[in-house]
Amino acid sequence: MNERFHEAQDELLTGLLRTIVARLPVGEEPEWLVERVLSSVVDRFFTVDSPIGRMYVGVGLRGVRFVQRGGSPEDFARSYRERFKRLLVEGTDTPTRNLTEKVATALAGKRVEVSLDLSETTPFQRRVLEVVKSIPRGEVRPYSWVAREVGSPKASRAVGTALANNPVPLLVPCHRVVKNDGRVGNYAFGAGEKARLLKLEGVSLDEIVRTPYIAACTTKIVCYATCRNVGRIHPENRRPFRSVREALIAGYRSCRVCRPVVT
Amino acid sequence: MDTGSKAVEEKVGLDPLPACLANGDPRAPRELVERHHAELYRYALTMLGNSSVAEDAVQEAFERAFVALGRYPGERIRALALRAWLYRIILNVVRNLVRGRSRELLVAEAPDKGFRPVSDLGDEVREAWLDVLAALERLPDRQRVAVTLRYIQDLPYSEIADITGTPLNTVKTLTRRGVERLRILLIDPA
Repeated sequence: MNERFHEAQDELLTGLLRTIVARLPVGEEPEWLVERVLSSVVDRFFTVDSPIGRMYVGVGLRGVRFVQRGGSPEDFARSYRERFKRLLVEGTDTPTRNLTEKVATALAGKRVEVSLDLSETTPFQRRVLEVVKSIPRGEVRPYSWVAREVGSPKASRAVGTALANNPVPLLVPCHRVVKNDGRVGNYAFGAGEKARLLKLEGVSLDEIVRTPYIAACTTKIVCYATCRNVGRIHPENRRPFRSVREALIAGYRSCRVCRPVVT
Repeated sequence: MDTGSKAVEEKVGLDPLPACLANGDPRAPRELVERHHAELYRYALTMLGNSSVAEDAVQEAFERAFVALGRYPGERIRALALRAWLYRIILNVVRNLVRGRSRELLVAEAPDKGFRPVSDLGDEVREAWLDVLAALERLPDRQRVAVTLRYIQDLPYSEIADITGTPLNTVKTLTRRGVERLRILLIDPA
């Protein structure tokens, strides 16, 4: 067969291929297919109001990874990418909407469990964050207490550093950790914001500076001034102390709930 | 699908998507998937012949792409020709699948089950499509890739050369020989 005939046939064939391909539906991608791909290749973010302003929240498959205040969505996505090497899309899916509600409830002061993904932190930092997460609203603890609780009693400064790099402020309430003498200490969003947050939560730092420890003369137990047990001591039975040691010498013992550090 | 102009846009850097991805635009990742999912899926389906294997291949290609997008410096993302880059990834994924699993296995799975995107075609087109797939399956790898990219994916030769890292004239030759061979398989079986 001659070449021209073959060429004609090749044209026929490519024509046929094109016809078939043209009739294959390509059109619109079903939304769920795109969502399915996205769900495993990118993380999600949403915004939520808090006492210190609008917060961006970044969420991976295992939980909240990053909380940051203010800026544009692009700013947040860029710092998220730098930190976690993942891209972000706005979470409009149902799980993200449910989580948004949960986080808003948590920031409003209700006790709800929000799952956190702290896999990008060091083991020490993770222990610190776990301990700080347990400090209830309306209470504060000093850095030395956190250090003792994580099993490194001399590491108060390292605790400070770990909290300064807290990826999920508010959800891990690092603002509830104050200086050992009751002064407010540093905060990622400024010491003023920290004091304001604590005041909103019902903590009076002035009183803590004056009387960091309160004991009950009836039970002979000494607590941090914000320990929940202090609220149950009748005002006339309260005894203020400047240090735990003083209280121990006076015959008191440490509270088993707030476990004050002996200094 | 306006392939031609898209290719040109990317070439002269008019495609805004790489910059959006680098700048953290939260709509950009979805846009990237929406824009390229269908063509990557069609390529994978043509090469692998099985819809669930093809879906997994596309998923893996996007996973690799987004891992890279998470790690590349912004400048590198801005300089990406996204379409060609994604094709290079899916080509690798598909090649590994074909190599990793025995070809017989893929072919054995191939018979028309699960051809989701073509299931609503008329019988005639469907038959023709399956014939083409079966014939493509019998081409040497490089010819098969070239023919698929040229005639199924409708990419220009220059872009195929870029994607496969093959000189332009070699791409043309591979495509021509592939088509010749397809003709023998489809029209002139004798």
